Amino acid sequence: MTLWFIRGLRRGVVTTRYPARPDPSAASLPTPPAFRPGQLTVQAADRLAAVCPGGALRRDGRVLVYDVGACAACGRCAAEAPHAVTASGAFELAATARSELIRRIPLRGEAS
Amino acid sequence: MTPLDFLYAAGAAWLAAALAGLLIARTPAGLRACCALSAAGGAAAAAGGGWSLLYGDTAVVSLGGPTVTGGPLQLQATSLAGVFTALLGVVAVAIAVYAPRYHQPSAGTSVYLAAYNLALLACLAVLAAGGMVTFLVAWETMSLACYLLILRHPRDLAVARGAFWFLALSEAGFLLVVAAFVILSTKTGATSLALIAARAAAVPGGWRAAAYLLALAGFGFKAGLVPLHVWLPEAHPVAPADGSAFLSGVVVKLGVYGIALFAFRLAPPAGSWPGLVTMFAGAVTAAIGILYAMAERDIKRFLAYSTIENAGIIVTAFGAAMTFHAYRQQALWAFLLIAGVYHVANHGCYKTLLFLEAGVTEHAAGTRDMDRLGGLIHRLPRSAVIAFAGTLGIAALPPLNGFVSEWLIFQGLFQGFRTGSHLTGILIVLAAGTLGLTGGLAIYAFVRGFGIPYLGMPRTRPAALASEKGQPVLGPGLLAVVCVALAVGAPVVLAALSRAARTVTGVSLGPLLLPGNLTVIPAHADFAAFSPTYLAVFLVCALAVPAAIYLAGRPRAGSARVPVWDGGIVSFKPRMQYSAMTFSAPTRVMFDALYRSAVSVTRPADDDPAGRSGPVHYEAQVSPVFQRYLYRPIVRALEWLADLVRPVQSGDVNLYLLYVFAVILLAYLLGAV
Amino acid sequence: MTAATADELRKAIARQFGRSLHIRTLDTGSCAVCEQEIRLLAAPHYDLHRLGFFFTPAPRHADLLLVTGPMIRAFEVAARKTYDAMPGPKVVVATGACALGGVYPADPFAHGTVDAVLPVDVWIPGCPPSPLALLHGLGVAVGRLAEKVRDLPFTAPDHPERTRGDS
Repeated sequence: MTLWFIRGLRRGVVTTRYPARPDPSAASLPTPPAFRPGQLTVQAADRLAAVCPGGALRRDGRVLVYDVGACAACGRCAAEAPHAVTASGAFELAATARSELIRRIPLRGEAS
Repeated sequence: MTPLDFLYAAGAAWLAAALAGLLIARTPAGLRACCALSAAGGAAAAAGGGWSLLYGDTAVVSLGGPTVTGGPLQLQATSLAGVFTALLGVVAVAIAVYAPRYHQPSAGTSVYLAAYNLALLACLAVLAAGGMVTFLVAWETMSLACYLLILRHPRDLAVARGAFWFLALSEAGFLLVVAAFVILSTKTGATSLALIAARAAAVPGGWRAAAYLLALAGFGFKAGLVPLHVWLPEAHPVAPADGSAFLSGVVVKLGVYGIALFAFRLAPPAGSWPGLVTMFAGAVTAAIGILYAMAERDIKRFLAYSTIENAGIIVTAFGAAMTFHAYRQQALWAFLLIAGVYHVANHGCYKTLLFLEAGVTEHAAGTRDMDRLGGLIHRLPRSAVIAFAGTLGIAALPPLNGFVSEWLIFQGLFQGFRTGSHLTGILIVLAAGTLGLTGGLAIYAFVRGFGIPYLGMPRTRPAALASEKGQPVLGPGLLAVVCVALAVGAPVVLAALSRAARTVTGVSLGPLLLPGNLTVIPAHADFAAFSPTYLAVFLVCALAVPAAIYLAGRPRAGSARVPVWDGGIVSFKPRMQYSAMTFSAPTRVMFDALYRSAVSVTRPADDDPAGRSGPVHYEAQVSPVFQRYLYRPIVRALEWLADLVRPVQSGDVNLYLLYVFAVILLAYLLGAV
Repeated sequence: MTAATADELRKAIARQFGRSLHIRTLDTGSCAVCEQEIRLLAAPHYDLHRLGFFFTPAPRHADLLLVTGPMIRAFEVAARKTYDAMPGPKVVVATGACALGGVYPADPFAHGTVDAVLPVDVWIPGCPPSPLALLHGLGVAVGRLAEKVRDLPFTAPDHPERTRGDS
């Protein structure tokens, strides 16, 4: 009992101050991707849709339909097209309507 | 006009009922006529008993000349017997109203009814006996009539066994009772009970204590004191419901009456140790009785053990009363007598009620096994309400009568410190503690006894199809009303009992019991107080609060009604419920040293290649400790003795002629000397 | 639910639950990793209790239903019973990609999304959602924290060194 107390005093407060202050561990969280529309060709979009395991990416004509709600932040899309995909760094993703989690990202012109 | 006249009327009515039973009860009309006579007798007995509480002891009446037993019949209506007689009357009326709908008219029923009414008559004679011989003859007649009563279906082996246990233990008790009476009558030189009581003080202390202890053991067989109780769980399940009700409600109480007779009138012991022994016997009986009740699935065996428990409580009260008397605490002596006798009346009422309801359940659902019942409150609503009233009473929950009498007994026991002796005070407190354990276990046991059969879902098809059509309701209903009356009218009842106690003990409690304002105090003004009437009224009014909340909070427009939260289970199966044995499992585990359960588990082999498994069989058997370790050795010893003596009965005529010659020779020699 | 009534509801909820909320978790067939993250909320590092949030097993005592899993059909009755047993006002929060409809399509075994059976007020994406995301989501549900995802474009400017793309 004393040991636990002394260890606790040595370690200090370990509780996070979130949401009052930002949490330092938030920086290392895996987060859903953000896309660079300038780099997203139609072929790239098709490849990304094929490689996404959760079905969060789908090409609909000239638009990449991106469902943040279905994303597991696995990173496969970033590995497939690293120039077109980057981490968004956003983890505060709660939404009051399901539609707010679906983004339609316009694709770049014709394939180069 | 004395109470004895009412008892004559009751006796005549019951004799007529017995004859009517034998002759005309084979038809429905005859059955009803016989029961009507029985009810009339019951009413007369109740009136006579109630009156004799207030009237005091009547004179001893001698009837007729020398009878078969060598002496006139002596009758006396005493105050002490008054409550028991009143109880006998009330129970007789309730059973008489119940019987026509319970029994089918037939030859067996007519013999049964004749035996039953004869038993009623014999019980009345025991209670009205003014002389030793009358008492003993009546007692034995009662035992034999009850034996016939239990033996309603003589071809059933279980019934024969149960009746045999009853008879064997009754006779054993009878021998001891005869011995006790013989001691007293030779030492006082009288056979009339009133004379014996008057000369009791002249009997030397040692003989008085011996007579009392013999009576305690002898009547203890009938009252169900442990370890003399084994006939109760054997005989009650096999007798018809009203027979079991009569046994528990009246016959067991007669054993208690016998103990009270010796303790308070005929042989009040000199020292304090007989009282302590009685109290100890009662407390142990109560605890063991309720513990065994927890392990029973058969409703009637369960109720039989509960009777043992309550008999223990009453005997504890009497024992404590005797102890207080030995220490000159006369107020508490009278008080505990009143409390014990009040508990006799209460228990008689609600135990009879519960047995009658057990009979209704058995006829409606086809089984006495709690684990095959369930949900009867929907199928038998009126019976369930009446059974609930009986359950509240026997679990000693306010506001009913069981609570009042147990409160009185506890308050009497708590005042053990007034004896002034540390050892006695500690022993009395231990008895109170044991009764406290018993009370708690009784609540647990009766939650199980009412909840498993009546609440929940039916566990088997017959229980789901049970119907109240044609089942007797009025008889038990009457008893429920009496229970409530005894509770709410407790001050009135206690006033009458106080008058009776004054006749028996010579102590007048008056304001020490009932200081006015419908309150009751335990013989000393500075100790405790409560009012049964106000408590009952208050509790009923307090129900108005949740009723008002419910009515006010009823759903308004726009609010939804949803089912009760049940854990999200999709469909309930009856097997998901508690069973009677799992509900009592904590007690059985904790007190395993008493139960010594023999458990056997068989499962199919675990090596089936297809991975199939079958049912697992679990069987747990409570050890019959008393039969195995007490009665069996005694019976074996007797058989050994009989074997030893067998050569005397060789069957050889010449040897018998030699015996005759030897005895004649001996007689001549003795005569010459 | 229109924005106006949703706003009113949120204000009412913030008034009532803002500082004391009882949460009932409901697993409708998940892989239990979301449950592990939820359980971590009560641990000292994230410490739900300092915000006035508590877990309760009884729906009768709960204000908020935290649902995970793709709402398998076998659980539908139990889920409805749990929701019905909660007294109003109540909030339903669906969390995890399964519950949001992302992983399983509707088939004979699962509805695929919690929305098919229960009316969901707040959606928390993630697989699993980190405890910080859960805390934010719970805060949004009771009106203590602002919703942020609406303003996130999930796009990034082109990489400065690559002016010509090579797919």
